[in-house]
Amino acid sequence: MSASSPLPLRWRPLAVLLLVAGAALLFVAVVTRDPTPLFVALPLLLAPVAAALAGPRGGPKVQITLAVEGAAAEVRVRGAIVPEPGVDAQDFVVELGRPPSLIGEAAPRFDATASQIDFRADWRAPEPTIAEIPVPDVIWRDPLGLVERETVSSAAPVVISRYPPELLRIGAVRLERTTPLPGETRSRRVGESGEFHGIRLARPGDPPRQINWRATARAGRTLANEYDLDKTGDLLILLDARPTPLGPSVDERLFSIARAAAVGLSESFLRVKARVGVGVFGEFLEVVPLSTGRTQRVRIEAMLRAAHLSTVHAPAERCAVSARRHFPPGLTTVVFSSMADELSEDLSPYLRRRGFPVVVVSPSPLPIVAAASRLESADEALASRIVRLVRRDRIAQAWQEAPAIDWDDYWSLGKFVEFVRRPRVRRVG
Amino acid sequence: MDSSHRRPGAIRSVRPVSLALLLVPLTTFGYVSGFSYGMGAAIAVAAVALGAGLRATGRRSLSPYAPVPVLLALAAFAVHAPVGLGFEFLAGLSALAFLVWLADDPARPQRGALRSLPTVAVPALALAIAWSSALFLPAGAVPLGVAGGLLALTLALVAFLVGRPTLFDREEA
Repeated sequence: MSASSPLPLRWRPLAVLLLVAGAALLFVAVVTRDPTPLFVALPLLLAPVAAALAGPRGGPKVQITLAVEGAAAEVRVRGAIVPEPGVDAQDFVVELGRPPSLIGEAAPRFDATASQIDFRADWRAPEPTIAEIPVPDVIWRDPLGLVERETVSSAAPVVISRYPPELLRIGAVRLERTTPLPGETRSRRVGESGEFHGIRLARPGDPPRQINWRATARAGRTLANEYDLDKTGDLLILLDARPTPLGPSVDERLFSIARAAAVGLSESFLRVKARVGVGVFGEFLEVVPLSTGRTQRVRIEAMLRAAHLSTVHAPAERCAVSARRHFPPGLTTVVFSSMADELSEDLSPYLRRRGFPVVVVSPSPLPIVAAASRLESADEALASRIVRLVRRDRIAQAWQEAPAIDWDDYWSLGKFVEFVRRPRVRRVG
Repeated sequence: MDSSHRRPGAIRSVRPVSLALLLVPLTTFGYVSGFSYGMGAAIAVAAVALGAGLRATGRRSLSPYAPVPVLLALAAFAVHAPVGLGFEFLAGLSALAFLVWLADDPARPQRGALRSLPTVAVPALALAIAWSSALFLPAGAVPLGVAGGLLALTLALVAFLVGRPTLFDREEA
């Protein structure tokens, strides 16, 4: 490699220590005219150079496989690291970082042989989350620990999303259509996606897989198959990313829970070929426009993974105006908002006035606040009862504008699923 | 990485074979190095015990300092030892044992000492040549000058190589 090599050899502090000690002993030997220190200095001076020469002469290539198993709260990471021939896998130092939203053993288990290293980590998601499991850092280090090199691998991190299992089947719910001609629409997907509808004249741009070659041979002109998709409807998922008086840490956890639920909701509806759009309202509204398909799923997941809380409490009217600009009215809208204060309750009225039928899912801060409480048992019970009453009152107030679901058990969205399957109007007051 | 799954801070094995390999020559070297009342041997045992203890703690903040006491003891004995072929041999042997002990790090997979043999073989060979030269060459100013020149050249070469780690890289095919 040249001097600009991205993976050069690195001297470790121990190598520097040996070289300094060796040089000092050499100096003493010369000054005192005593050859004995020379015999100690020689191995110390030569060992780092020998270690560099005995190792690989470039960043060794490794093949890393990374897989995540488990459902709901369980996150089981399994993987293997296989080096290129001629490199001993036992000379690798591997570090696998645990995403901050997961808990469990800090150090994964490694089983190293000369040919490969297997690793596994059993983590747990205490609440719904989307997290990125990073590719392990693999460094080649000589057995004495004097020199090291970074390895070369093409593995990519794995994104996991853990959300309440009820969301897996929520896609069966029929959504409101917002297209001018509801019903079956022509599939824009390549190949045999959807139901066969008929044969038509082929048009420029039709992929070869869509050409009906038998019919073409019979008719003497190029004919193509046409497929229809039963489009179930459209959905807008809106996340309130504005700050609340609960503080940044609680806000961040609630927002993380909402992001995970939003991923689950979008995946479920995209699976039944509905169009899904997503908006995150912090200071301004960031959106992924309505679309369907696997690409949309990746787009939404990436957007939600990158979404973060705002530091500014923006007016709800701004969100409603911006939503109206990006999405058609009449779109079934699910709003995730903690509704921790009166200011954060104002999103649904403005959205309704702009023509969006809203259902609010509100991740409750009470479990998080109660877990962090330092009060004694009697005071704790009283405080808990009071905040529960305040919360219930706030949800009841919100019901006057739009259906609001209090989400206090983070691993279950049964109440929400029940509501969207059999919507009912709640009478308040 | 057999021991990487341990809880951070958990006590690790001291790898007794490499520890004994270090302890025996270093204690002997300490004993004969001229310290009175067997202090040299005591220093050697204390240094090895401290080094092994620091390694066994498994704490990332402490274990990197494990070689320091052993290295200090080795340097002290080398400086204090009288001139003689036997002392030079013991000094070189202790330094090699120190390298083997370094390779048998309990934080890393077992048999590190065996895997380090290609690395340790180079200084061992250099030591063998140096000691043979001291044994067979006649004493005098000229051989001493040649040996000193060679050592100075070695030191300059080491400094040059350490300053340019990319020299150890190989161009991709």
